[in-house]
Amino acid sequence: MESKSGVGVKTLQDTRQAEKGALEVRPSRAGSDWIAWLGLLPFFLFAVMFLFLPSLSIFVRSFQDRGGNFTFENIIALFTVKDIINAYRMSLTISLITAVGGGIFGFLLAYAVIMGGLPRVLRSFLLTFSGVASNFAGVPLAFAFVATMGNAGLVTRLIEQIFNINTREMGFSIYNIYGLSIVYMYFQFPLMVLIMAPALDGLRREWREACENLGGTEIHYWRYIALPILLPTILGAMILLFGNAFGAYATAYAFSGSFINLVTILIGAQIQGDVLYNPGLGNALALGMIVIMSLTMVGYVSLQRRASRWLR
Amino acid sequence: MAFLEIRNLSKYFGKTVAVKDFSLEIEKGELVSLLGPSGCGKTTTLRVVAGFEVPSEGQVIIDGKDMTFTPPNQRPVGMVFQAYALFPNMTVAGNIGFGLKIAKKSKEEIEQRVREMLELIHMSGFENRYPHQLSGGQQQRVALARALALRPQVLLLDEPLSALDAKIRVALRAEIRSIQQELGITTVYVTHDQEEALSISDRVVVMNNGRIEQVGTPFQIYNFPQTEFVAQFVGTLNAVIAEVMDVKEGVLRFDGQQVYTADKLEGFRSGDRIMIAIRPERLSFANEGRKANILKGTVKNITFLGSIVRIQVKLGENIFFMDTFNNPYLALPRVGDLTEITCSKEAVLVLQRRS
Repeated sequence: MESKSGVGVKTLQDTRQAEKGALEVRPSRAGSDWIAWLGLLPFFLFAVMFLFLPSLSIFVRSFQDRGGNFTFENIIALFTVKDIINAYRMSLTISLITAVGGGIFGFLLAYAVIMGGLPRVLRSFLLTFSGVASNFAGVPLAFAFVATMGNAGLVTRLIEQIFNINTREMGFSIYNIYGLSIVYMYFQFPLMVLIMAPALDGLRREWREACENLGGTEIHYWRYIALPILLPTILGAMILLFGNAFGAYATAYAFSGSFINLVTILIGAQIQGDVLYNPGLGNALALGMIVIMSLTMVGYVSLQRRASRWLR
Repeated sequence: MAFLEIRNLSKYFGKTVAVKDFSLEIEKGELVSLLGPSGCGKTTTLRVVAGFEVPSEGQVIIDGKDMTFTPPNQRPVGMVFQAYALFPNMTVAGNIGFGLKIAKKSKEEIEQRVREMLELIHMSGFENRYPHQLSGGQQQRVALARALALRPQVLLLDEPLSALDAKIRVALRAEIRSIQQELGITTVYVTHDQEEALSISDRVVVMNNGRIEQVGTPFQIYNFPQTEFVAQFVGTLNAVIAEVMDVKEGVLRFDGQQVYTADKLEGFRSGDRIMIAIRPERLSFANEGRKANILKGTVKNITFLGSIVRIQVKLGENIFFMDTFNNPYLALPRVGDLTEITCSKEAVLVLQRRS
């Protein structure tokens, strides 16, 4: 009869030999690589025409005055003109509020739907609704909020008539940064749900059970396993929400006109040609947005690399 | 007294019966396999022992303590899952030390234990790798180390090798057995692979439709199946319906051929139709040595399977498989040849009364 240690040594060799075979990497099919690159050509063309060239154009025109002459005035204005600084501050604030708020509540909503043990029919309904709502923006969304919660909105009137409460006299108005945040949340929430639902679905039951089996509780599971696994997706989704809000124009403009001073509204004012017509400044403002988004992306990539180092 | 005791366990999912009246006693240090087809209730039984399912009826007792309603995180049980279930965001060391970290062990103690476990699974030096940087076999060994790191009293393995390819499976199962014996840990091993169950177990529990069909050593299960299901499920089998001719002498008849069995036919009468079975390896060509039973038939097919050669012989309406060791110097009959095959009385197993 073979000794225990003998069995161990022999089987280890067997396992290693077997695994050696399993770890062999198949050589890539270099011949077919060019077909894959050819398939990517439309994307590259699209990116060059509608991303790189416009960005380059914005960059160049940022340094031109109304007459097309080279100037630093537009760039200097970004750091010195109070209205412009306030616009950036306002845009960043609203983007942060809706990215973080939408991210947290969207995550909780997705969690409730995917992991809360709700009926499947409700899950399908909510995901379909999220698909529609995440694309419901611009003038129709702004109008919907004005028509329901505006000064003469349906809900405002109903509250007035039924409860005899004049919300305006009490100081409530949706025409401010918080009101606009609520409007933005209407498409931010569902977008977060759409991104997080598959990610939550991807959490394997065995991870939770393995955690429990090793003495862990629900809190341990979320702290050490589920949240770290989801973190790259959550960060990615939040940056998307941030960009979504930061670049929004039609919704904000239709909702508040120029009441709320956002960068996008300011850019619109500079290039639409009425009193403030100054395309060079408009381009400089857009350049500022590109720089902020790029910095955000760099921050995101760095955070994600740390959060997902286990994926590399 | 048994170390792990499952008493009258039943588990229902709505109207579906997953496990019915399952009772089993496992001694300390024993490795018992639950073997059966998909949906037979073996994994449900394991999950009840782990605490992931609450039984509809029955009890789970570990080392004399009733654990039936103890939450999974308070049971002295380690589990290895089918698809490894390693935490992808943790290194090998992180995975192995996770349970110890939860148990608030000191850093030094965790590091020491992780080192021991890595040595046990022969993976020292892999501490800082992430699961995706390991092969399937390595991942499963880490999963085993993780389950053992807390020194559980019972180890549960849920089809731990089914996601691996054949070569690694064979090597790793021997390694699992070796580690289990080295640690002397009481183990329940779920598998649908009969070869796996027979090769590593002290005892095998064959399950079907949520019930136990037979419990026995691998030798007993293979050589003396007590039910038709066990005989059919474990190994290859030639099963035919035969008519009882002489109860006292153990004479039976099928397809116009007479066979003798050493099994007792008490309770049967002449004319009863019963199922009998003969393992392919118990048959041989009569010209190599005649035994109690001689069956005449025609060679229908010959299949070369490496170390053995499987010959199909048509006996009347039935086709019998006969396995013989591959011997390049042995002249085999050709397809279509008339041949005589033979087996002993003991090779003819009586499985079940038919009418």
